[in-house]
Amino acid sequence: MAMADESTFSPEVLERIASLTTADIAIGIASYNNADTIGHVVEVAGSALRDQLVGYRGVIVNADGGSTDDTVERIATDDAAPVLKLTYPVPPGQRLALLEHDVPDKGRALKAILHATQQLQAKVCVILAPNLRNVSPDSVSALCRPVLDDNFDFVAPYYTRHKFDGLVTSGIVYPLFRALYGQRIRQPMGGDFAMSGRLAAHYLAPNVWNLDKSRVGVDLWMVTEAIQRGFKIGQARVGAMSRVFRESSPDLSVALAQVLTEIFDLTLRDVSIWQRPRGSEAVALLGVAQDLPLAEVALDPQRLIESFRLGYKNLQPVWSLILPPATMLVLKKMSTGQNGKFVFPDQAWVRTVFDFALGYRLRTMNRDHLLRAFAPLYLAWAASFAAEMQDARTFEAEHRVEALCLAFEAEKPYLISRWRWPDRFNP
Amino acid sequence: MWDHINKALGDGMHRVLFGVASFLPGLVILLLALLCATVVAWVATRLTRGLLRSIKFDNRIEALGFSGLADWSPSRSPTLFVAKVVWWLIILFGLLVGLAGFATDLASKIVVQTFAYLPNVLVGLALLAIGNLLARFLARGALIGAVNMQIRSAQFISLVVKWLVLVVTAAMVLDHLHIGGDIVKLAFAILFGGVVLALALVVGLGWRDIVSRIGSKPTTEHPEDESSTLHHL
Repeated sequence: MAMADESTFSPEVLERIASLTTADIAIGIASYNNADTIGHVVEVAGSALRDQLVGYRGVIVNADGGSTDDTVERIATDDAAPVLKLTYPVPPGQRLALLEHDVPDKGRALKAILHATQQLQAKVCVILAPNLRNVSPDSVSALCRPVLDDNFDFVAPYYTRHKFDGLVTSGIVYPLFRALYGQRIRQPMGGDFAMSGRLAAHYLAPNVWNLDKSRVGVDLWMVTEAIQRGFKIGQARVGAMSRVFRESSPDLSVALAQVLTEIFDLTLRDVSIWQRPRGSEAVALLGVAQDLPLAEVALDPQRLIESFRLGYKNLQPVWSLILPPATMLVLKKMSTGQNGKFVFPDQAWVRTVFDFALGYRLRTMNRDHLLRAFAPLYLAWAASFAAEMQDARTFEAEHRVEALCLAFEAEKPYLISRWRWPDRFNP
Repeated sequence: MWDHINKALGDGMHRVLFGVASFLPGLVILLLALLCATVVAWVATRLTRGLLRSIKFDNRIEALGFSGLADWSPSRSPTLFVAKVVWWLIILFGLLVGLAGFATDLASKIVVQTFAYLPNVLVGLALLAIGNLLARFLARGALIGAVNMQIRSAQFISLVVKWLVLVVTAAMVLDHLHIGGDIVKLAFAILFGGVVLALALVVGLGWRDIVSRIGSKPTTEHPEDESSTLHHL
C-alpha cells in the first residue's frame, strides 16, 4: 500500500485515520460552502450505510476546501457512520472562479479522499456531490452494489431527467464523449460515481495523477483513465437529479465555456487515443427503471431562436474564423428562417462542435472568446431540439439523442481529418 | 575701363563656374547614391515579397487579428505594405548617403538627429501595435459578452471599447513622439472626457434596465425560468 501523501493531512488527521483501521466502504464528499445541503447528504450517506449496506463497515470522508460558513460543523457523525474530516491545501487563485457545483481544486480534494480510501483499505469508494437535493439511501446503495457484488471498477450515475433538463449533456458532452472514447456513458460528468479499491489504488499510482488533471476536468479524466486501462465500467440508475446551486452561479455562456474547456482539454490530452475507436459499445446499465415524477422544465424555443439570431447578426465575423463556409451557409438559412421550421441539422451541429474543438486546439483566437462565442450556437441547437421534441415523451427524446450520437460517430472521420491536416479545407 | 569690365566679367564667370564645379560632384554623388539605393531597394523588395508570400504572411496577420493592416495596405495585402516600407527605408538611406556627399554638415546633422529620434519612433510603433492588439482583443471580448447578455447594441459597445483604446493609444504615441505638444494632450483630455460623460449619460438614462440586470444576483433556483443555466447543465 502506498504511503499517504502526508502534505495533504495534518498530524491529527493521520492519527484518526490510523485509529479507524479498516472499512469496506468509503463515502467521499468534497465540500465548499455547502451548509444548506451538506447535512442532508451526510445523513443520507449514513442512512445508506446503516440500512441498505448492512454487514459492511463504512466511513464518510469529508474533504473540505476551507469553507467560510458552517459546512464542516453541520456534518454530524455517529458510530454506524463515522465521519473523517480532512482538509487539503488550496492555492489562493482556485477559489475565485467556481462552477455552481464545484469545490476549489477539486482534484486535490478527490485525491485526499482516495488516500483515505487506500489507508482504510476500502473495497469501494463512492463520491457524492455536496449539493444534492434528491439523493436517497437507494441512490448510494445503487452506486455501491455493482462494485461490491459484481466486481465493477467504475460506476457512473444514470439520472432520470426531464427531456429538456441537461441539454448540454444531451447535445454535446454525451455524444462527443461517446464518439471519442467509444463508450456509451450517459452522464460522463455526473459528479457522483463509485470506484473499486483497485481503481482508487491505480489513480494514486506514481505517474498517473498529476496536478494538471487535478485542476480541470478531473471527473472526466477519471472516467477516461478507467476506460483506457481496461477497468470494468458500468452505470447505475440513481433516480432523478436535482441540485442546489450557489447564488453566485455564473451565466450560461461562462458555465458552458467551463464544460467545453474540460472536454476539449481531454481531446488535446488523449489525441493518440480517441482517434482509434470507431462506433461505440454499450455500457452495462444496472438497476430497475422507475417512472419518477420529474419537475417540469419549460423551454421556449422562440426565445432561444432570438438569442441565436442576435448572435448570428453580431458574431458572424468571429464564427467565420472557425467554421467553414458550408456551415456558415446553414447558419445563415437558419437565421433568416428560409426553410420555415427552425432546424439545426445534425450534421451541421456535429461539425460545428468538431470545428470549435479544432479551433480550441489551434488557438484560432483567444480560447475564452472562442468558447463564449459558442453559446448562441448551442442555444440554436437547444431551440431546434426543443421545437422538435415539444410534444414528445421522455423515451422519444432519448431516441432522438441516440440519433444525434450516431451522427457524431458518423462524422468522426471529419474531425480526425481536420485534426491531422488543419490547413487542408474539408467541406 | 574695358579691361576692368573684362576682368570683372571674367571673375564673375570664374566664381560661378567654380561654384557649379564644386556643386556638381555632390549632385552626382547624390544621384548615384539614389540610383544605387533604387537598385538595392528593388532587389530587397522583391526578396521581401517572395519571403513573406512563402510564409503566407497575409494569412498569419489576418489570424492574429491585425486585419486593419490589410485595410490600410495597398491592394489589401500586408505583404505589399511591408515591401513598400522596405523600399522607402532603403531610398531614405540612399538619400542620407547622398546628402552626406553633397553637404557634409547638413547631412551629419540630419543623420545625428534622425538616429537620436529613431528609438522614439520604434517605441511609438511598438505602442501602436500593442494598442491595436489590445483594442481588438477587448472589442471582441465586449462584443461576445454583450451578445451573451442579449444586448442588442452589442456592436456599438464593441466599437466604443475599440475606439476608446485606440484613442488612448494614439495620444500616448503622439506624446511619446513629441508631436503636437500640449495641444494633443488637451484634445485627448477633452475627447476622452466627453466620451466618458456621454457613456455615463447613456448608461444612467438609457440602460437602467440592463444595468439593474447586471447588478442583480441570480436566484438559487429558477423552476419557472426556462433559460436558467441550471437546466442546461
